[in-house]
Amino acid sequence: MSKKRDRLQIIFDILNVIKGKNGKIKPTNVLYKSNLSNQMFSGYMNELLQKGFIVENKSKSGKTYSLTQKGFDYTNKYRMIVDFSSSFGLGE
Amino acid sequence: MEYAIVPHWFAGYNALLEMTFFVITLLVGAYALKVHRLSGQRQSRLFGISFLLISAAYLVQSILNFAASYPMAEGCSMQSMVAFHSLGTFAVYAHMVLFMTGLVTLAYMTLKIRDFGAYALFLSAMLAVLLLSANKLYFFYVLSSILLVYVSFYYLRNYLKGRKMSALIVFVAFLFLLFGKIHFIFSTDHGAFYVGGHLLEFVAYTLILTNLVNVVRGK
Repeated sequence: MSKKRDRLQIIFDILNVIKGKNGKIKPTNVLYKSNLSNQMFSGYMNELLQKGFIVENKSKSGKTYSLTQKGFDYTNKYRMIVDFSSSFGLGE
Repeated sequence: MEYAIVPHWFAGYNALLEMTFFVITLLVGAYALKVHRLSGQRQSRLFGISFLLISAAYLVQSILNFAASYPMAEGCSMQSMVAFHSLGTFAVYAHMVLFMTGLVTLAYMTLKIRDFGAYALFLSAMLAVLLLSANKLYFFYVLSSILLVYVSFYYLRNYLKGRKMSALIVFVAFLFLLFGKIHFIFSTDHGAFYVGGHLLEFVAYTLILTNLVNVVRGK
């Protein structure tokens, strides 16, 4: 059985899914690929929007998400963030 | 207020060590705030703020000890001696308040609660005990030691959770900080404890710096 993902890992996974198809991914696809429950997914997406990691794009074909510079920075520096947080006990 | 006994030969070295602690805690605090900016983690912000406060406390202490290591010029007026003494007392108070606020912020971070009222109560209770006590320096070291016992337990649990070397280094570092502060409790009686406290803190901050360097280098 796989180990339970922590908050930083879940955020990384969601951002990575969006990064993979930047600007063209729909909420249902993110939900499917991030492997989260509906409720948890909504919570994380709201937090990521609020904190400026992703932006919502609305068009005729529906809603899509893309990463902001902050989102890209997070995925690039993820390993450092995890190492710093785990060694200094900063997990939430 | 009683003061710590500083051995003659150690005057100047203490300020140098405190300046080193200032730089290390400043680096760790700044890096924690960088992690907060990247991740949006609330705990990184609290951790960063706590280390920056501790850093400011060491800067004040270092400047004070540098100044104290120089003998006053001959023919110095009484007025300037009184002014120097007042400034020194203010610096000691500033160091204690900044350090205590930093430690309380760190302890609050480990509680993982979101309640500013609880933080304010916790901090005001600690500062009130510190500032209203008859022997402020003694109480400062005792209260700091109590907070460090709690923080060290938190880092022990953090290590046992994942058993990572980096978490072990941080736990051992906080243990050294605790032992250092316990030594300072007795520094009003004997100068050896003052020196011992500084050396133990030096080991602690070296370990914290080692961990930071490992994180930055991705080891």
